[in-house]
Amino acid sequence: MPDLLQLKVQYFAVFREQRGLGEESLASAATTPAALYAELQARHRFTLAPEMVRAAVNGAFAPLDRPLASGDTVVFIPPVAGG
Amino acid sequence: MFSLTRDPIVPPVLAAAGAGGFVAFDGKVRHDHAGRTVVALDYEAFDELVLAEGRALLAEATAQFGLLEARCVHRVGRLAVGDTAVWIGVAAPHRREAFEACEWILDQLKRRVPIWKKEHFADGDSGWIGSDVTPGEAPVTEENFYSRQIRLNEVGAAGQAKLEAARVLVVGAGGLGCAAIPYLAAAGVGTLGLCDFDRVEATNLHRQVLFAARDVGKPKAALAARFAQRLNPFIAVRAHGARLTAESAPGLFQHYDLVLDCTDNFATKFLLNDTAVAMNKPLVQASLYQFEGQLHLYDPAKAGGCLRCVWPEIPPEGCVGSCAEAGVLGVVPGVFGALQAGEAIKFLLGLGEPLSDAVLLFDLRTLATTRIKRAANPHCPVCGDGAPPTEIDLDPFAPGRDFSRWTVVDLREDHEPRPLVELGSTPWRHQPLSRAAEWLAALDREQPHLFVCGRGLRSGNFARRLRREGWPHAYSLAGGVDLALKARPRSA
Repeated sequence: MPDLLQLKVQYFAVFREQRGLGEESLASAATTPAALYAELQARHRFTLAPEMVRAAVNGAFAPLDRPLASGDTVVFIPPVAGG
Repeated sequence: MFSLTRDPIVPPVLAAAGAGGFVAFDGKVRHDHAGRTVVALDYEAFDELVLAEGRALLAEATAQFGLLEARCVHRVGRLAVGDTAVWIGVAAPHRREAFEACEWILDQLKRRVPIWKKEHFADGDSGWIGSDVTPGEAPVTEENFYSRQIRLNEVGAAGQAKLEAARVLVVGAGGLGCAAIPYLAAAGVGTLGLCDFDRVEATNLHRQVLFAARDVGKPKAALAARFAQRLNPFIAVRAHGARLTAESAPGLFQHYDLVLDCTDNFATKFLLNDTAVAMNKPLVQASLYQFEGQLHLYDPAKAGGCLRCVWPEIPPEGCVGSCAEAGVLGVVPGVFGALQAGEAIKFLLGLGEPLSDAVLLFDLRTLATTRIKRAANPHCPVCGDGAPPTEIDLDPFAPGRDFSRWTVVDLREDHEPRPLVELGSTPWRHQPLSRAAEWLAALDREQPHLFVCGRGLRSGNFARRLRREGWPHAYSLAGGVDLALKARPRSA
């Protein structure tokens, strides 16, 4: 069992709605935002396809394959169109 | 029809068939002005100008309110108390338009048409007065209108002049637009374009606060334009009521310096983004979801990239909820529309720190704001060198697309007929493909080049070859000159 990363995760828009909260701290075996999204999608039944998801790590947009480290803050952002 | 007369006004008869409402206004000489007794009035007009401006404003009213008939008669010369000075009559399919148009014509007449009046008082005194000045109130001038804004050191007279010279296009007069438009108009943005093809629906009213319940069914662009023009008579407001398309967007964008994306769907947001990038226009964009939203400023002069740097492909409609599906609290577009106006004004004034390299996320429930840094994606399909678009479709030939920095290279051979497509003053070089080895080295590979041939096959292959060889801005005209010439009348 690899060490789990301690991460802070923030949810916006449809993610917040489907998760039922805006922010949580969790421990995960995921080492990239893509893997973390897959894990959370399975757990919380997020409806948005992974290719439509954007991630920010520590306040900046980041590729979904960027390596994560303990203590990182990950934000998942869906596309939004309302006006 | 607009006329001037020296004789007592006889109200004309309006005969418009199909009219459900006739409204007439009879404006008479009042017996007092500012507490003094009036005995007579002299009206004087600059006839040619009055007639021209009067006819123009009746034509505007006819178009704006869908009138069947509009007439106005103004009297000049010496009038006694109780005489009719001006008579306005309109006929419209429904009463509401008739009432509104009649008042609008009177307001415009007083403001725009050069008719002066001299009042003769019972005490023997007399004086020329401005016809639209309410007694006891200072007239509204540009000076007092903007005085509290000019007082800011960061604005001043120079900043106000910048705003007056600015041309801003707001696309979408929905929840976001209804908040942005009044602030842009009130700030004195000199030319304000309002684009929306939609009509007011009852479900809009909780958030689209420029519209009243009685406006349901009316065109949003015209309503918003009227609101903005009433708010600030010193600016030019233009309503664009047609649906924006890839073909029409460049023609509209060319008249503006900055664009606000106040739309509510992905297709239009990406269209605005792509057009803004192609035409080098800054774009202020907001998008909402229920209680929260995102705010972006895409500035072509900065390295913050564009919408496609974040989402290279247009997300399928319906992958997240729209306002209709997911709901939205009315004040949320109010907050974001006002923020859009603020970013636009900051940009025009060069004030503060524009949001050109980040997205601002804001949630009304927690009042939490999050800034996420955004950088240009070098592989962006519209502002980077990302695949695919080596092929440019016919849109670049729509009127107004700016090709001034481009070179068009016509690859057709000497023996081929070579009809040309007009591209303004863009240089059009004839460099036959068969002799490419001789002329290619003379071109600057860092500059944008549009390669053309008859049907787009040779130019497509050639542009793709150059992309592989490190020409980031090599493009081919899809369908070639033949298709462009065929399609021209459609986009004219």
